[in-house]
Amino acid sequence: MESNNSLQTELKRAKQELAGYKIELHQTRGYLQSILQSSEDIIFATEVGGMLISFSKGGEKVLGYTWEELVGRDIKDLAENPLLFQEFMSSSLQGGVTTHLDLPFRHKEGKSIYCNVTLINLTNREGQRVGTVGVCRDITLWKKLQEDLVQIDRLAEIGRLAAGVAHEINNPLAIIGEASGWAGMVINDAKDLNAEDRSELEKAAKVISEQTKRCRSITHQLLDFARRSEPEKTEFDVHALLKESVGFLKPELKHTSIEIDFDFMPGPLLMRSDPRLLEQVFVNFITNAIHAIKKTEKDKGRIEIKTLRTDSKAEISFKDNGVGIPPENQQKIFDLFYTTKPPGKGTGLGLPICQNIIKKIGGEISFHSEVGVGTSFTINVPLS
Amino acid sequence: MTDQPTIRILLVDDEETLLEFLSKRLLKQGYTVKATFSGEEAVKVAQDAHFDVAIVDLKMPGIDGVETQKRLRQIQPFLQCIVLTGHGSIETALESGQQEAFQYMLKPVDYDNLIISIQKAYEKKMKLQNQEFKEKVAAITTSGMGAHGIRKAISELHKIYGIE
Repeated sequence: MESNNSLQTELKRAKQELAGYKIELHQTRGYLQSILQSSEDIIFATEVGGMLISFSKGGEKVLGYTWEELVGRDIKDLAENPLLFQEFMSSSLQGGVTTHLDLPFRHKEGKSIYCNVTLINLTNREGQRVGTVGVCRDITLWKKLQEDLVQIDRLAEIGRLAAGVAHEINNPLAIIGEASGWAGMVINDAKDLNAEDRSELEKAAKVISEQTKRCRSITHQLLDFARRSEPEKTEFDVHALLKESVGFLKPELKHTSIEIDFDFMPGPLLMRSDPRLLEQVFVNFITNAIHAIKKTEKDKGRIEIKTLRTDSKAEISFKDNGVGIPPENQQKIFDLFYTTKPPGKGTGLGLPICQNIIKKIGGEISFHSEVGVGTSFTINVPLS
Repeated sequence: MTDQPTIRILLVDDEETLLEFLSKRLLKQGYTVKATFSGEEAVKVAQDAHFDVAIVDLKMPGIDGVETQKRLRQIQPFLQCIVLTGHGSIETALESGQQEAFQYMLKPVDYDNLIISIQKAYEKKMKLQNQEFKEKVAAITTSGMGAHGIRKAISELHKIYGIE
């Protein structure tokens, strides 16, 4: 009877304890659930082999997958480089917690998602490993920002350096120009030269003069690029400026079948900005379009210049049916000194300068290009 | 340029090698050239000899190009000055002496463009000078001086205007 009694108490105590555990378990589960549901990080759990057994809502959002699509998949297959991820996983087996600062995953749509990844080994009571828990923070945006900052810094530094060099080189350049001009005159007047020597020397003096001019145009462009003076503000008609810019390029357009098509919004498009700077941009875009068309075998070249006006902005686009820019080159076109033209034809300064100018006057440049179809550049600039 | 009077050019630049070749080329083309290596030297030279066009470097030790051309024009009011500026300093140059100089040109200057500017500067100088010369001559001839007095006054005018 007595033992029965004590058994009863024991059972009662055990039941109470169990209820307590249940509550505790419920709370812990709720706590974990709320983390998994509301965290913006990718939080996952895998079994020993790496197969996913849990994935946070935040993770679904970051990588673009639903849990149904992920269940049973191997975590390493979500990484951009599965082999690298596998290696990282294995190396984390020794320690309890391991962190990788910058590991890219692959979004469902293909883009890279850079993450700060922490892996934690899950072990059972016997100390055997039963799986892995991972917490991954998306740092793609932060990384991009960082890169942009570095890029801006580097550009500014290059600009300063280049301007300094260009400035110093201008004086000796002037002397080379004058000396070669003088040499040309002396050769021209020399009496005791045989015809062959004369023509050789004439040619050499001419080449020195020409190349000096080329250097000068580069130093001037560089100094323009680095110039920090504020843009001026005057009122002008964008349409008139566009027509003037095309007028400048008459010699380039001669002997080509290129047609310039003005698709202007009605009336003048008045703007308060720096017409000289904008003109430089216009001329650059039109020149590029002419070159792109000349590269094709097409009989009929066409450059369409279009203007639009929104409340506070003007949109000006230049569309050509030239060769187009291959996708792999598209992200490089605004890089300083990047050019696809043969040596001596392009400086790789045109587009970076345009971008610099448009930024300076508070606008934006965008472009769209398809190989074999053509390219269109669009600039959006504030009206004042 | 055999029929025309030669254009008298005053060069002012501290870069001596540059002036050496520039003056040789200009001389060869028939210009009369005087090279000076500082603003002070140029001002001194201008007190004794007449020039039509001065080509002045903006950045020089001592008095700079803007100041030099101002002083030159105080001595020879019709002298036209072409100021050569380095990049970036063109705005400051414009602010400090816009009305004074005939033209500002970016260094290194293109020789052919320089020749064109020299010719234009010379034409402007002659136009201004002849206009005023004519007015002065007209004033003298209608002043009621005798023939001798007129001749003397006009020869003085010649001297003032640098016409030999």
